[in-house]
Amino acid sequence: MTVELDRISKAFGPLTVLHELSLSVTPGEFMVLLGPSGCGKTTALRMIAGLESVTSGSISIDGRDVTDVAPKNRDIAMVFQSYALYPHMSVAENIAYPLKIRKLPRAEIDKQVRDVAAQVQLDALLGRFPRQLSGGQRQRVALARASVRRPAAFLMDEPLSNLDAKLRGHMRAELKHMHHQLGIATIYVTHDQIEAMTLGHRVAVLNQGRLQQIDTPHRIYDDPANIFVAGFVGSPPMNFVPGGLAEGRFKAAGGSLPVASRESRENVLLGLRPEDCRVAAASAPDCLAGTIYSIELIGDHVLVTCQLAGTAIVIKAEKTFSGEIGAAVGVQAAPGRCYLFDQQSGTRLR
Amino acid sequence: MSKAVRRTSLFEPRRYGELAPASKIAVYGLLALWSTVVLFPLYWVAITSFKLPIDVAYPPKYLPFIDYQPSLHAWRYIFVDLGNDTFRPYMNSVIVAPLSTLLALIIGSMAAYALSRIQYRPSLGSVVTFILLLAGVVLAVALAGIDWRIATLVAFVLFFFLLRALGSRFRRRLGNGDILFWIISQRILPPVVAAIPVYVMFQKLHMLDTHAALIATYATVNLPIVVWLMYDFFVAVPKDLEESAQLDGASRFRIFIGIVLPLAKPGLIATGLLVLILAWNEYLLALFLSTAKAQTIPLLVAAQNATRGPQWWYMSVLIIIMIAPVLVITITLQKYIAKGLLLGAVKG
Amino acid sequence: MKRMLSLWLDRQSDRLFILPSVLMILAFSIFPLLISAYLALSRFQLGIGGYQLHFVGFANFAKLLFGTEQYHFLGVFAPIPWLGWLLLALLAGLLGASLVRYLRGGPAGIAGLIGRAILMTLILALALLLAATLAAGGQLGSLSVTLLYVILGVSAQFVCGLALAMLCSQRIAGRGFFRVVFFLPLMVTPVGIAYMFRMLADMTQGPLAPLWRLFGLGDLSWASQAWSARLVVMVGDSWQWIPFIFIVMLAALEGQSQDQVEAASLDGASYWQIFRGVTWPEIAPVAATVVLIRVIEAFKIIDLPNVLTNGGPGIATESLTLHSFINWRTLDLGGSAAVAYMLLFVSTVFCSSFFNFIMQPLRSARA
Repeated sequence: MTVELDRISKAFGPLTVLHELSLSVTPGEFMVLLGPSGCGKTTALRMIAGLESVTSGSISIDGRDVTDVAPKNRDIAMVFQSYALYPHMSVAENIAYPLKIRKLPRAEIDKQVRDVAAQVQLDALLGRFPRQLSGGQRQRVALARASVRRPAAFLMDEPLSNLDAKLRGHMRAELKHMHHQLGIATIYVTHDQIEAMTLGHRVAVLNQGRLQQIDTPHRIYDDPANIFVAGFVGSPPMNFVPGGLAEGRFKAAGGSLPVASRESRENVLLGLRPEDCRVAAASAPDCLAGTIYSIELIGDHVLVTCQLAGTAIVIKAEKTFSGEIGAAVGVQAAPGRCYLFDQQSGTRLR
Repeated sequence: MSKAVRRTSLFEPRRYGELAPASKIAVYGLLALWSTVVLFPLYWVAITSFKLPIDVAYPPKYLPFIDYQPSLHAWRYIFVDLGNDTFRPYMNSVIVAPLSTLLALIIGSMAAYALSRIQYRPSLGSVVTFILLLAGVVLAVALAGIDWRIATLVAFVLFFFLLRALGSRFRRRLGNGDILFWIISQRILPPVVAAIPVYVMFQKLHMLDTHAALIATYATVNLPIVVWLMYDFFVAVPKDLEESAQLDGASRFRIFIGIVLPLAKPGLIATGLLVLILAWNEYLLALFLSTAKAQTIPLLVAAQNATRGPQWWYMSVLIIIMIAPVLVITITLQKYIAKGLLLGAVKG
Repeated sequence: MKRMLSLWLDRQSDRLFILPSVLMILAFSIFPLLISAYLALSRFQLGIGGYQLHFVGFANFAKLLFGTEQYHFLGVFAPIPWLGWLLLALLAGLLGASLVRYLRGGPAGIAGLIGRAILMTLILALALLLAATLAAGGQLGSLSVTLLYVILGVSAQFVCGLALAMLCSQRIAGRGFFRVVFFLPLMVTPVGIAYMFRMLADMTQGPLAPLWRLFGLGDLSWASQAWSARLVVMVGDSWQWIPFIFIVMLAALEGQSQDQVEAASLDGASYWQIFRGVTWPEIAPVAATVVLIRVIEAFKIIDLPNVLTNGGPGIATESLTLHSFINWRTLDLGGSAAVAYMLLFVSTVFCSSFFNFIMQPLRSARA
């Protein structure tokens, strides 16, 4: 079932927190809304749920205009950041609640609850209360409660952010598996770009209430539309070096690099992903000169921070990398892996 | 996809979290009704205080200047003719209520702080021994006519030696929770149970009808409230600051006065206001413990019944000057007082 | 010397912090309580050169329960109609069922069993008393009147307070105004409220007098009828205390986590379904606390009946505290202390049972 947003905006008094967002989620698709806190992604989700009113624009689910429909009549389920489990109900009662509201027969409810619980491995915990469960188990109860009535769409508001790092990785995989099994359109809000990359069929990046780019995770990473997307997605983030373009080369204070662009202009930012750079000798050709600022061993690789004239650059190097802090080096990059942005507007130069 | 058409049903809310137009009207109607229930009595008292005796008769007159000509005669009578008879009880209340509040606040917050930070483990046995000896003193004085000073002294000596001798035998120990519960549960005690003996005690000490007697008893009956509310407050105050002050070598008193109390100021204000109002309104203990000199304002008002019958115009003036300070405090500091009420209750 | 003192003080600080409170309560609560116990067991007589106390055992209590003061304390009994017996049987059945459930529920402790036994005996005895005194031809004593104030008064206050809080927790304009207005009566001196309601309830001259005349009740006086007098006392008490329940329940409603409400409304629950299934379980512990506080204070009521009706007509509005006070004024110190002790017993059993059997389970269910 499709979810369609047509230029929806949200204003709180004079403050507009969401500007004309248009989005179309196809049946069975996993759509991620990604952005920093305060970018309007949760507001957008709550508008789809009907928990916030729409200032302008319209929302339709499965072809039906639901802009002014009450949340309970939209046939969607939501997983909250806090899980929103009912503390006085057991796991089974929590999962059964949406069905009980719909006045399904008792036997039918029991059967569906058991089915769903088995799917998320909660069978053994049905009699427990939320306070007796671990974070991951609570998360699963919330998922089970959301999926038990087979809604038209799932909405998830940072569902993994209250878990510790290890569990988060595990639950990510479970979420993906569950989505694969159920095949229900899902809209997932997160500020964590790893979740966005791993889970989403498509990712919509938002900043300051505006849609920046909407595309597959691959293309978001490899082909960012602007400096915000480029800087937000990727860990460690993309490096930016200010400089100018001339004669097919990027010129900065510490030297110049060959780039694919033939343009010639000032006030350009060069974007370099850490894994696309290389630490070379200071005397090497086509490099930016700098000194090593710090060296961090991560495990399978080493992060080298180099101080160029005025900017710092993080480079992902082999774990065999050896060097001295303070040593003069050159930073090289492949011409095809250089991103160029306009310094003022932040738009990509192609 | 059709363009959104805003529905205007009377029974459907326009957006989530809001009320349907019909229920909105009902809600405002009920709220207005209750506002009338709350405000009309106060309004009636206010206008009655400006009525002449003939204006109080049937039919009732609701609107000053329209139904009747307001007069200041009742106000003049209460303030000028009665003069000191009005002001003395008023001053008594002005002295007793704040001082008893202060006393309850100081003693109560000390206990609340101590209970939130220090582990007390009194043994059940010694507490029982103490109570038994206290009962023994009462019996000895009442039945055998022994001088109460001697009896108390003997009891204390006995308590000391018994504790020495048996102290190590007492295994069952009480904890902070028990002490807290004991103090708070004192609020269940109806004041009338203690009122007569307290009356006798102050009589023996020749302190009947004094401010001190009222202050001490008011502080005691309000102590449980202070301990209860402030305990929750102190538990919520982080310990880091105190611990760092401890490492700096400050004594517990200094930490309490210099660090803990300033941090707990919002709670102190809220609790203090609540206790102040309770003390201002107190009736039963004043009835027992004060007759003339220390008579408080609620007593003065209550006494009008006997002396003046239903002379509503004078009564209204007295009621207004009695409740005016409390109403002013309530309206201006409403947030603090509400917080005081909520400190304990909402946490359960 | 000064240094020594401060060192000593610091070492003793643990005790010094709590000592003032303990001493105050010992001096003005516990010690008087013991004296009161003795007074309750003796007869007070004024004689030449002062007064005398004679130890009379439980005579004062016997007088209240079976003797000349029975009509005053317990009331006048009438034969209980069949409906009364039916209700009593129903109550007994309910209590028995809860006891059976407790015994089946797991290992029963001695203390729990004794506590329940005392509570159930008391409840049944009081229910029997109410049935017998409320029946036609019966008359309420101060104990039944106090129970009425507590049970009827507090329930009415709770229902109204909660309803107002629910109204005020809606997203509507002007909430701040209503909140302050509704809060006011709580702070008004009860003595003032008593006179205020005497004025308002005046059926010949009060503001509602035209209304009474319309119904042909103009010549009636509420103060001369037992039930209308009690009603006025309860209305005055409710006027003062509904705001307390209102303000606390409002905070509880506003404090509940919005996520669960939103989740339930996405699941399709209506306002009432959400209230019953999600909101009420969440605020129930607060409700229990607020009711307990109210019950504690309601047992002590004196100002309103004393000033409004002076306990009258007859003894129709006399609460236990007022009863005790009147005995004291007539120098029956023993009788006064005995009434006070009966009040202490009833309110302690009620309040501690409420705390143990209702509040604690609610709280631990949420912890």
